[in-house]
This record gives sequence, C-alpha cells and structure tokens, in this order.
Amino acid sequence: MSSKPIITFTQVGKLFYRQEQRTMKELLPALFRGKKGGAWFWALKNLTFSIQPGESVGIIGKNGAGKSTLLKLIAGVTSPTEGKVFVQGKISPLIELGAGFHPELTGRENIYLNAAILGMNRHEIDAFLPAIIDFAELSEFIDSPVKHYSSGMYLRLAFAVAIHVKAEILLIDEILAVGDEAFQLKCLKKLTQLKQQGVTIIFVSHNMQSVLDFCERVIYLQEGRVVIDSTSHAAITHYTKDVTRS
Amino acid sequence: MWFLSARWRPLVSQLVLREIKSRYKQSILGYAWVILNPFFQMLVMTFVFSLVIRVSSLGVPYAIFLYVALLPWNLFANSLTHSTNSLVSNAQLIKKIYFPRELFVIATIAAKVVDFTLASSILVLFMLYFRVHVNLNLLWVFPIFGIQLLFTYGLALVLAALNLLYRDIQYLLNLVILLWMYLTPVLYPMEMVPDQYRFIFRLNPMAVLINAYREVIINGGVPKLSSLLIAFGTSILTVLFGTWFFKKLERIFADVV
Repeated sequence: MSSKPIITFTQVGKLFYRQEQRTMKELLPALFRGKKGGAWFWALKNLTFSIQPGESVGIIGKNGAGKSTLLKLIAGVTSPTEGKVFVQGKISPLIELGAGFHPELTGRENIYLNAAILGMNRHEIDAFLPAIIDFAELSEFIDSPVKHYSSGMYLRLAFAVAIHVKAEILLIDEILAVGDEAFQLKCLKKLTQLKQQGVTIIFVSHNMQSVLDFCERVIYLQEGRVVIDSTSHAAITHYTKDVTRS
Repeated sequence: MWFLSARWRPLVSQLVLREIKSRYKQSILGYAWVILNPFFQMLVMTFVFSLVIRVSSLGVPYAIFLYVALLPWNLFANSLTHSTNSLVSNAQLIKKIYFPRELFVIATIAAKVVDFTLASSILVLFMLYFRVHVNLNLLWVFPIFGIQLLFTYGLALVLAALNLLYRDIQYLLNLVILLWMYLTPVLYPMEMVPDQYRFIFRLNPMAVLINAYREVIINGGVPKLSSLLIAFGTSILTVLFGTWFFKKLERIFADVV
C-alpha cells in the first residue's frame, strides 16, 4: 500500500501511576511507615506501527495488556508519555454501554445526544434518524426511556449510532459481546460493508473467531509491548499457544 | 453561545438539553421545581428576616429585596456545585472520546441560566404586583449578568478540574458556598455592614454584583462603576487563569478519572 498511513505510532510509551492510597486515612499511616504512595508502570512501551486507510486491525492480548490504553491514545483522550501518536481523520469510538446515554431520556433523545457527542450536527442526525432506528430494531421502544431497555437493546442503539457517523476510523472495544448472535452477525456484516467503503476499523476483542473473520491484520500485545504484528492467522496462533501454555 | 465555534454548538445544546430534560423526569411537578424551589426559600427567609429579625430592605417589600439577590446568588451557587461535578459524572465519556472538556462546564452553566430565567418570572410578577417602578437603568442588569457569568465560568473551570483529582473539592465547596453567601449581602443590605468591615465586601466580586443588581432594579440608579469595573477585571483574570489551569490539566483527565 502506497497511501499515507491514517494512524502512526512512533516509539510510543505510556507511563501510569498506580495510586494505592486515595484518602488521608490511608495516606497518613503509609507515610509514617515510609511507604511510597504508589508505583509507576509502563502501560505501553516502545510501540511503533502504522495503519493504512481502509485496514481492519485486531488488537488482542490478555486483560491489562494495554489494549484499552492503545484505543485511548488513538482516540486522543490521553497523550503518550514518550514518542509520537499521529492520527488523521474523524474518529468514532463505539461508546460503552451507558456512557453516552442518559437512562431517563428516551431512545430518540439519546440518539441525538450520542450522535452529537460523536460530532454530528442536528441536520445530519435528522437525516439519519430513520436508518439508525431501523438498524437498531427499536422502532417500538424508541420513545420510552432507555432505563427500561435490556443491555442488548442498549448495545444496538449505541452501535447503530456509531456506524452512521461519517467517520474515517471506527474504534470497537469488545462491545459486540453483549448482543445476541443474530445482531452480532448483522453488525459484522455492516462492519464489512464499512470496510469496503474504506473505513479504518480497530477491533479489540477476546473473541478470536470474530477477529479472525473480520481483520486481516492483528497486533498482539503483552504487558504493553507488541509481541507480534502480523496477519491475523499468525498472530492468533501465537496468542492461542501462549494462552494454552500458561 | 456565540463564543463557541460552530463545530461544538450542536454538542453543547444536546448536553444542555440532557441536563434540563433528565433532571425532573420522574417527578409530578417536573420542571416547576425550578421555580418553586427559590420561591419557598424566599418565603421562609422573608418570614425570618422581615418578621422575626427585622432587616431593613431599601423601602421595598423584603420579598422583592431578597429575590433580586437570591436568584442570581442561586445561579452562582448552583452553577458552581454542578460544574464541579460535571467532569466526574461524565467520566465514561472522558475516557472514550475527545472534545474540549470545558464544554461540560459550559453546558452545565447554560442549563442553570435556563433555570434562572424561569425562576425570574416570579420576581417579575412580584414587581408588577407591588408596583415597583423601574427605569432605563434596568438595562444595566445585562452587563452585570455578563460579569457574573464570566466570574462563575472561571471559578467553575478550576473547581471542575481540581475535583477530578481530589473529590474533597465538592464537599469543601458546599461549605465555602454557605459561608460565602453570608459574606455577600444577599439576606441583608450592604448599609447594615459596619464601615470597618466593608472592605471584605469590596474584595468579593459577588457582593459587588449583588449590590449592583439591587441598585439598578430596586433603586433605579446607576451601579457604582468603579466597583463594577474592578469586578469585571477580576472576572476576566479568573477566566484567564481558569482556562490556563484547566487546559494544563486537561491532558491527564482521562488518566486520573
């Protein structure tokens, strides 16, 4: 591929402080005993890679491997301690259940809220509203408060909004695990469609089958470092071997 | 919201709507509470300060004297307490997507301004009923209000950012606001304060603003311009400092929340 990369990480490291005492009651005795308040650790270290427009890249690794931190860096909500992160293009993160929603508001009101958070203006939302409701299969419940929704309905709404945002980069963090199989299939189909339209998709998941089905490239992280960055088949084989060994 | 770039306006208006629509959802009186709350506050305070303890009230009924100060004070206090929590309560969003974080603060204050406007309707009715005469000097309320918003916004930025690091701020703030109200001539006129203590009030921008509201609404006079100018200067400095402070900490919000 000769086009300019849409995401570039150069020697990226992210240092986190793990604070153990958060209140005075905990802090004072710890100071007397000469204990330090916490410990620094590298959530990510020495990450260098680039992603071309239109690529679908899976991010795999155990809990705490740095997958979410990686997404945060791409989304621009946190900045790297060292190195450079370069991202070009509009990002649409699939917002976690509840995060971009207000339980007391109706499904319709929440679509407006969530879509505005993802950077759509009122006209765009008005135009996409029927498609969003249709995709979420929620036309019956769209005017009731989302606090009465099941977690599957929540997910459908969130997913439907996120994919209708005209974004160049889609960040998907394990969210598909919640929906039923039929909806998961529908989502994967839609994602494949977006992929064909040239949307770059970063896919974080523990479900190796869907990563294998969906991504041609996979980055496998372990304790904040890249173990392997390769075709999905090679990376997943490597990962499965590591998991079964331990 | 003229000062916001067009890009963020839809988001801020949605955040304001969320704040307003969701607040009183599962309640019978709903949004009427915005009006009822200060109204009952005023009734009780009027009973205490005009019947039990007799406080002079510049020749108008105490209810009006109080309301003119209580409404902007409530706006100030509510804006600060809610803004202070605004980042913490949106933690999930802060971790997921980037947009300027001060939008949360702006949206919170804007929602409180809507409350304030509705609550003010009662004051207008009262003034009509008691035939309080006003003149063109009433227009001064707009610049005074503008200064109040600037001051509130600057403080809110600092408090919201600090509260993300240490939640003590929100508890401390409740106490500070209570004390601050007594050190601002909301319940009593400035004239009752002994001369040697007046300096406290000159250092307090809220006291200057509250006095100015009373002067232009009740007395139909011109506010003391030198004091107002100082309050304006203080507010500008507060906004500059608040923005600098907020932007400096903004980069680590997602890490500490």
